[in-house]
Amino acid sequence: MKMTKIYEGSHQWIMFGRDEGKPNNIIDTNQYVVRTTNRCLLLDPGGAELFAPMMAAVLHHAPVNQITDLFASHQDPDVISSLGLWDQALTNAKLHAPALWEGFLRHYSCDSIEYVPIPDNGGSIKLESVELQLIPAHYLHSSGNFHVYDPQAKILMSGDVGGAIEGPGTPVFVDNFAAHVEKMRYWHQRWMPSNQAKRVWIERVRNLDIDILAPQHGRMFKGDDVKRFLDWFDALQVGIAV
Amino acid sequence: MTNQTKAQFIAVASITSELSAVMVVAKEISLAAANAKAIAFRAGDKAKGFQPITDFINELAKETIELVTNINIYALVLYRLTVEEFQKTVTYNKFELAAKMAEGAVHAKSMQEPVDHAKLAMQDCQRRFRRDVSQLLGQLEAVMHHARAARVIAANSRIEASQAGEYLQSLQAVAESVDKAAHTIHDNVQRCRIALSIYRNS
Ligand SMILES: [Fe+2]
Ligand SMILES: [Fe+2]
Repeated sequence: MKMTKIYEGSHQWIMFGRDEGKPNNIIDTNQYVVRTTNRCLLLDPGGAELFAPMMAAVLHHAPVNQITDLFASHQDPDVISSLGLWDQALTNAKLHAPALWEGFLRHYSCDSIEYVPIPDNGGSIKLESVELQLIPAHYLHSSGNFHVYDPQAKILMSGDVGGAIEGPGTPVFVDNFAAHVEKMRYWHQRWMPSNQAKRVWIERVRNLDIDILAPQHGRMFKGDDVKRFLDWFDALQVGIAV
Repeated sequence: MTNQTKAQFIAVASITSELSAVMVVAKEISLAAANAKAIAFRAGDKAKGFQPITDFINELAKETIELVTNINIYALVLYRLTVEEFQKTVTYNKFELAAKMAEGAVHAKSMQEPVDHAKLAMQDCQRRFRRDVSQLLGQLEAVMHHARAARVIAANSRIEASQAGEYLQSLQAVAESVDKAAHTIHDNVQRCRIALSIYRNS
């Protein structure tokens, strides 16, 4: 599992992905970790297949008992089907996930982990002195969906928004936006169901000061590419399958 | 899934299928008993010795049905336990893999506790499974006992039938069907026992 530190300040952000041991037939995902002095938050910790490599990678940064928080942007298996395993490994942890999905996500087993339901209008996660904002992103693509914004690190973890499918070993940052567009066009057209939801989300996100847009698939967007992405997405018609 | 786990799933599933056949046969015995009772009643004095036997056969069939109903509940518990054990084994293997992959990581040691915990949970399932299998084998033994008793009764019935004059044939048929049914029950239950015996508490 490749680890890339994307923010280092009073706390850290680390991106995990490009796992070489991943079976070919499951989609590649990026996992993110926010690390404070004594706590550790995993954002979209990934599928059950990814549990062992992900746990092993996290152990480079934090001991098991300091993994205190998990966040699931939505209910998909590539996001959180590892929940049942984390549930047995962690003794004192919380899962922050959409309230809408609680009854569904509990199918993965969530007995020792406390499910903290995120209401439709969002909320926050407090990790020691760091406060992360939970930004509503409903219908992008899931009907109950949130992104995580860190005003200090200026990072927006954007779930499936900004995603792209590329081969193994792809760089972690977009280096040529124009060329990258083709890799993410169909993804957004097909997965994102609602132009209206997209418009509302873009309006909301344009008000945030973002250095890095960090999606769950593909590459991260840095600096001016963040605005380029928002403009491109704004102009794109989505929900093409109907 | 390992071959051993597969075998365990199959063994547990086979109990239910073998026993549903036992249930059908036990109901047949019960019917044969009712039939015999009617014939014996008509035969009057000629089948005097046969009458208490029919009650006995009926009782035996009823008890067998009761036993099998109980065993089926047990089999369901065993099935759930097998599923649980499978899940706990998957967890343990994933934890062990994580610990192995974490070798060299600063906090690798912190994985030991979850690994130990998962191992205990898995072993606990295995222990409960073996314990429940032993109890179920005991109950199957009781059914076998009933089947053997039914065969003895069938032999006695034949003797009694021979003194029943014109009712000889129909009473002999009753004895025959009880004997056959008891034989089937014996065979089916024996197969269950063989399938499970490798899991019993040693
Ligand atoms: Fe998704
Ligand atoms: Fe996804």
